[in-house]
Amino acid sequence: MKCEEFEAIGLGLEREGSTSLKGEGAAERAAAIEHANSCARCAALQESWQEAQSELLALRLATQDASTPLRVEMRLRQEFRTRHRVVKARTTAVVASWVLAGAALVVGAVSLWNWKIAPRHAAPVAAKTANAIDRNATDQDALMADNSAGEFTLLPGSLPQETDGAAIMRVRLQRGALGALGLPVNQERAGEWIQVDLLVGEDGQPQAVRLPQ
Amino acid sequence: MRISEQATDDVLLRRAAKGDEDAFVVLYRRHQAGLYRFGLRMTGNAWASEEIVQDVFMTLMREPKKYDASRGALGAYLFGIARNRVLKHLERLPREVQLNEQNEDGSRGGSAVINAFTPAHWAEQQERMKQVRAAVHDLPAEFREAVVLCELEERSYEEAAQLAGCPIGTIRSRLHRGRALLLAKLEMLRDVPRRMGAAR
Repeated sequence: MKCEEFEAIGLGLEREGSTSLKGEGAAERAAAIEHANSCARCAALQESWQEAQSELLALRLATQDASTPLRVEMRLRQEFRTRHRVVKARTTAVVASWVLAGAALVVGAVSLWNWKIAPRHAAPVAAKTANAIDRNATDQDALMADNSAGEFTLLPGSLPQETDGAAIMRVRLQRGALGALGLPVNQERAGEWIQVDLLVGEDGQPQAVRLPQ
Repeated sequence: MRISEQATDDVLLRRAAKGDEDAFVVLYRRHQAGLYRFGLRMTGNAWASEEIVQDVFMTLMREPKKYDASRGALGAYLFGIARNRVLKHLERLPREVQLNEQNEDGSRGGSAVINAFTPAHWAEQQERMKQVRAAVHDLPAEFREAVVLCELEERSYEEAAQLAGCPIGTIRSRLHRGRALLLAKLEMLRDVPRRMGAAR
């Protein structure tokens, strides 16, 4: 064994203990001992190291019971409580936001559904009106039977909601003019003058018509 | 729910992450001393070691999910954080004046192994201890770490290599170099009083 090898291996074998070394380790230790016996420099080095080791042991014993002061635990506990209080509040806020968002979504969906089905309710009315018109057209009568009840008859192409805010105008016109509004007219009586109530929308266009009582 | 002191680190950490303060405190008490001692032996400064331990557990509190149980034990993970903090501290403050450390009850910290025989012998031992401490703290960081882990904390080469994050061969060579530097430093410190004594 050379001095460099002794420095690298020989000193380290001391900490591993002679009893635990087997095979190659035991051979290395034997070689280190033999070298120390024959090399004064390495023997002195080993002695110095053993002295240093005992001092290191004393240093180790001096600090082996060292522990963090209690104030560190107190600070960590405080921080832990603060952090988890904040997290809890944040979680509650997030959950509340999601619930509100969900509720808004439901309300929006219901409103949309209501808006979509509203024309369908008007459609049967319009269909009923159209059927009445057809019936009257086929009967070659003056106007729909509905008018006798004083209800307005929607003109073709008009929607019930467009009559909101509409004004009623009583006009005198010839029967044939009702054809221009889209209503069927008996051509034999087209020249007769009649009085009708027109429901005029905000755009100035007639939306519905009725024969006054 | 009462926390069992025997509960594993993984269980305690999961409970702590959900807000269980007792679980966190058990974890802290289980690991703080080893981390503190490592910091103290590496920096030689009780205040710095205290800050390092606090920092380690603050990190654990902030990001408990960063620990991956499949990669190793929680103790090793915490040690890795402590090691990084220690090395950063040493980079920032390469030289620290060793102040007398005091415990909370006012007693001198790091009390020596008292030789009950004579006061002179005790004083000499105290002086030697100071020299050894100074010699260790004079070592460059990577050699100091190897000496602290292997000589002061008596870890095996395998454990030391795992904690230092390097191969076993590297830790052995660092230890070898650390010992050589330590011996040289101790010889120098011992020679100074001898030379002074000879001069008188």
